[in-house]
Amino acid sequence: MRARRDRVVGGAATPYGISQAATDNRQAGADTTMSRVSIRTARASLAAVAAGALFLTGCSSGGGGGEDGKDAKAKKQGADVSYTFADEAASKGPAPEVEGGRKGGTIKVLQRDSFAHLDPAQIYVSDEGALATLIHRGLTTYKRTSGDKYEVVGDLATDSGKKSDGGKTWTYKLKDGIKFEDGSAITSKDVRHSIERMFAPFITEGPTFIQQWLANTGGTDYRKLLKDGPFKGKHLSDDVLETPDDKTVIFHFEEPQAELPYALAMQGYSVVSEKKDTKEKYDKDPLSTGPYKIASFKSGKNMKLVRNPEWDPKTDPKRHQYPDAFNIQFGVSFEDSTKRLTSDAGENQYATSFTNSVDASSMQKVRSDPEVKKRSVSGYQSYVSYMNINTDRIKNKKVRQAIAYAMPNQSIVSAFGGAGGGEMAGNYISPTLVGQKPTDPFNKLKKPQGDVKKAAKLLKESGKKGMKLTFAFQNAPEWQDFSVAATQNLEKAGFNVQKKDIIADTYYDQIGKAKNDYDIYHNSWGADWPSASTVIPNLFDGRQVQDGAANYSHHKNPKFEKEMDRIRKIENPNKAADEWMKLADKILVEDVPAVPMHYYKTIQISGSKIGGAYFDEQLHDIQPTSLYVKK
Amino acid sequence: MLRFLIRRSLGAVVILLIISAVTFFLFYAVPRDPAMLACGKNCTPDALAVIRKNMGIDEPVPVQYWHFMVGIFAGRDFAAGACPAPCFGYSFANQDPVWQTILDRFPTTVSLTVGGAAVFLFIGLGAGMIAAWKKGTLVDKAFSSLSLVLSSMQIYFIGPLVLALVVYNLQLLDQPKYVPLTEDPAGWFMGLLIPWLVVQIIFTANYTRLSRSSMIEQLQEDHVKAARAKGMSGRYVFFRYAWRGSLIPIVTIFGVDLGSLFGGAMITEWTFSLPGLGTLAVKSVQNTDLPMVMGVMLFAATFIILFNIIVDAAYAFIDPRVRLS
Amino acid sequence: MNSLTKEADVPAPRDADETSAFLSVRDLYVHFDTEDGTVKAVDGLSFDVERGRTLGIVGESGSGKSVTNLSILGLHNPRTTDVSGKILLDGQELTGAREKTLESLRGNKMAMIFQDALTALSPYYTIGRQIAEPYRKHMGVSKREAHLRAVEMLDKVGIPNPKTRVHDYPHQFSGGMRQRAMIAMALVCNPDLLIADEPTTALDVTVQAQILDLLKDLQQEFGSAIVFITHDLGVIANVADDILVMYGGRAVERGTVGEVLRSPEHPYTWGLLTSMPRLTGDVNEELSPIHGTPPSLLSPPPGCPFHPRCGYQDEVAGRSCTGDRPLLPHGRGSACHLTAEQKRTFFIEQIKPRLG
Repeated sequence: MRARRDRVVGGAATPYGISQAATDNRQAGADTTMSRVSIRTARASLAAVAAGALFLTGCSSGGGGGEDGKDAKAKKQGADVSYTFADEAASKGPAPEVEGGRKGGTIKVLQRDSFAHLDPAQIYVSDEGALATLIHRGLTTYKRTSGDKYEVVGDLATDSGKKSDGGKTWTYKLKDGIKFEDGSAITSKDVRHSIERMFAPFITEGPTFIQQWLANTGGTDYRKLLKDGPFKGKHLSDDVLETPDDKTVIFHFEEPQAELPYALAMQGYSVVSEKKDTKEKYDKDPLSTGPYKIASFKSGKNMKLVRNPEWDPKTDPKRHQYPDAFNIQFGVSFEDSTKRLTSDAGENQYATSFTNSVDASSMQKVRSDPEVKKRSVSGYQSYVSYMNINTDRIKNKKVRQAIAYAMPNQSIVSAFGGAGGGEMAGNYISPTLVGQKPTDPFNKLKKPQGDVKKAAKLLKESGKKGMKLTFAFQNAPEWQDFSVAATQNLEKAGFNVQKKDIIADTYYDQIGKAKNDYDIYHNSWGADWPSASTVIPNLFDGRQVQDGAANYSHHKNPKFEKEMDRIRKIENPNKAADEWMKLADKILVEDVPAVPMHYYKTIQISGSKIGGAYFDEQLHDIQPTSLYVKK
Repeated sequence: MLRFLIRRSLGAVVILLIISAVTFFLFYAVPRDPAMLACGKNCTPDALAVIRKNMGIDEPVPVQYWHFMVGIFAGRDFAAGACPAPCFGYSFANQDPVWQTILDRFPTTVSLTVGGAAVFLFIGLGAGMIAAWKKGTLVDKAFSSLSLVLSSMQIYFIGPLVLALVVYNLQLLDQPKYVPLTEDPAGWFMGLLIPWLVVQIIFTANYTRLSRSSMIEQLQEDHVKAARAKGMSGRYVFFRYAWRGSLIPIVTIFGVDLGSLFGGAMITEWTFSLPGLGTLAVKSVQNTDLPMVMGVMLFAATFIILFNIIVDAAYAFIDPRVRLS
Repeated sequence: MNSLTKEADVPAPRDADETSAFLSVRDLYVHFDTEDGTVKAVDGLSFDVERGRTLGIVGESGSGKSVTNLSILGLHNPRTTDVSGKILLDGQELTGAREKTLESLRGNKMAMIFQDALTALSPYYTIGRQIAEPYRKHMGVSKREAHLRAVEMLDKVGIPNPKTRVHDYPHQFSGGMRQRAMIAMALVCNPDLLIADEPTTALDVTVQAQILDLLKDLQQEFGSAIVFITHDLGVIANVADDILVMYGGRAVERGTVGEVLRSPEHPYTWGLLTSMPRLTGDVNEELSPIHGTPPSLLSPPPGCPFHPRCGYQDEVAGRSCTGDRPLLPHGRGSACHLTAEQKRTFFIEQIKPRLG
């Protein structure tokens, strides 16, 4: 499985853009795939240049450690997060009214980056993902039932899926009254087409899970199954994907795929009209299936969304259609959107942002000003930061343990703006994942500044006291700040630390090399859905060590690899989740390939006239579909 | 005049060629691979090679440069279709055609630049003239010290400050934004008012001082005295004789300042999140978006050179001695 | 100066306050306020000029010649300049007159020719426009008429092809032509008083002579009074009827051309004369420039301002030269403590031989 992470380069081969001209070369790096996490650092450094570092010092020193206790409790609540795959009743529309929700008005949306993709099959990142909640629908979706309880419900389908054959066959029935924006009905043909076109060479950015499961291969070999997609008359055979009638879609897998409802809930698997598919051009002008449609789009400048009259609320268990329109403005930096929304002046009262978060330097202010705090929502992003230990170079487990004890996790949280920007991690699994437990084998939570004494003792025992330790980090302000504290601890523990700061843009290229000269280096990784199945194998499967792969610590342990294969086949997702948690801690304790550092958190604010705002723990952002304009 | 234009145009072509070459080759000096960024997830060496080929960055850099330059004048053929001249290619980042994107962003930057220049020339020259007229008085001293204070300001400092005060606290104006002049002239004006006032700040003070000293110098010129001795009124002499002469050093400096005015406009766009060439340039550099970077660089350079020619022509307009020699 | 006539035996009305002269300056003080103190540029000056006559004012730079003339025109900055005394033009008081009044006189009743036409003509407008401008203003005529007048004036001052040259800019004219144009500009409204501030200094000798002739001709035609400022006594001898010698913001000697040049009385005038080369002089004979520098106008020397540079102060009894300021009598005379006898004797015995 793959997951969102700071900079996605890796996995197996996909001949991206092979049939494409230069026009189709898609940037996915700096801006989009680099996630908001590292983009924020990039932007912050820009601000530093501009402001002569005036504001930056403030941002990095705003620790806020005192509030951690309170937040830790909230996280523990998150720990019993569990997802249900919902039945037909729970998948019925319309969605329950939002308290105070009313029709009318226009919501202004401030976004930093323009949407690079509108074709759902090309959507993977959070910006477009947030937009997709308004204009695209798939077979399943996530729905918040209460507080931090979510379930996977049928969206276009009547339920979250009926499995048979031990999870190898999944059957979906389409609801009545579902239509594209041109008024044509959505049929099983469209669903089939949507899946099949993801095999076409021009689809390069979206998720690949279901294609891989259908082809039962890893990497990009799945494309061989339907080389040109459905565009040259060929289709997936009925024993792979079957559409016996207009309302029925049946997936046939060779292995049980217990997590299909999760995968189908990804915006990338939303439905595309077979008749109106314009292939490459669809990316600029798609047909909407959600409550809003695109009235105009000027790349880099603005987008206007208006109500889609063909969308029938009775078919939709989750979405609303409160405002008349959304006016999205691009190019608004985090600093700028934070200032505008904090000010709540004039038209900013009617503004919000889908994915711009509060910039690190303003987090403390937002958290401490009750008037602003009232208008803010916050929660976990999917990312967890890790300090990887290059197991090719540091083979002595005691040394790795020493490093793990020495890390000052509080420092990285402070660097990211304090409690608003993150929370210390005790283990590898994010609190947003099912089955997460707040274990803390290396006392990372109990000793926020690190346990230098214990580290020193372990290093002495290993007989490597005074050893040279090359510490690579991204030269973004957050990591630079952290590196100072970390180096101090490591040197106190007896290491001879060599710091190597690497340009932010090339950082992941450098540490992603299977043979590199660094001993420890950080990375961040997030799950694709609330299961550690998109985390643990990516980070610690020894069969996946190669240039650009996410197994940055080059951890190999056949015992654990066998365990990963076993857990994948468990039919009950919640049970599998428990097993992943146990495995994660086992890897951490027995092999120490990486030190868990912190869970990324974010705060977003809206103007005072915006109602219905809540932080969607699954979208990892404010949920656009419930927003309305207050009177 | 024709010879002047021909000579200057040839010079401009040479400068643009140098700028394009420097930008192009510098781009490859940076250790960032646009193909790597475009390759995104699940990238392999094979996939990377294909993308390099598609982007045209598999060829030697000089060859790429040649194709790029030829494309500008003759257009280029991409697999997805022809790109007519002037073809700057398509964005690596989002496949938008570079030329159209630039044309789309240009009005914002031009509005900002020209409007800002109008504001600072008006305020700066006006204040300078008043100070010169009232030389030695309290007004003069107030203007002089004010311009000293303002000249130490910076856009990225004063911009957010003005925004916080005027928009957020006092709520006198709305959030700055760009509305096309052709759509809504009043909206255009109101939306850009703050950016104009901010962009002019770094210039106005200098032009106040320059205009003042230049004006004072002119007022002591014999021909100004002679005009007074002819019985021409003080005001007439001030505006017709002294002012005209005082414009020459100002025009000179204005020509020099064009580049920084453009740069100032870019920072201002960034400060107020206006969709102009400045924000486009920053984004493109961040995205390692070579065609867009090249397009913006060349466009901006052309713009600056063109305005420099206009400024030089303005000399001739102001001073007949330049016109005829 | 008073209405001195060449016939010295005719007594002229020498009483200052009862003058009927066309231009009459009485007790003129021009003081500038500077950061260092008050500069006394003109310090109690009186003279008269009649219509049709030319008064030559001579003196070194800084002697107050130009300042005097700018004060007549009222061109000093009132904020920094303190002008007192009386300036009567055709009976009209100019000191303290309203700016509007002065404007209507400048270029009309009184006009000025500047030393360097290159800087005194604006480079930005055509010659024609600059000549026509005051004519339009003062005569209230149309643009067309003013233009024709400009052509006429250019013709009058001897510019060839005036109809085409009227459209030229100053930098397209030669130095002599520019000066002619300058004169045309000053004379366009037939002024009754013409102030010429070293109008020929920047020109070569042939052109100089042409310009001087031109001025004379024009004076005959228009009957203007001319104040001719120069440091060149040779030029003065050519054009002036009367001479006023200025030193340190004061007049030190006055008289007709004949009186001052043939029997100068003041040691400073002697100095000016002996420092001037002569065509008839011996090439090997050394010129004797006046030693020392002009006095500071901020703190002028006490007594006679010339005494620090004067070779004759020992001839004066007591400490008069350093203590008392010598007065200039009305009419012919000089401000010096030497007796009339001494003046005559020293000139004839010591100075005259050196003048050849």
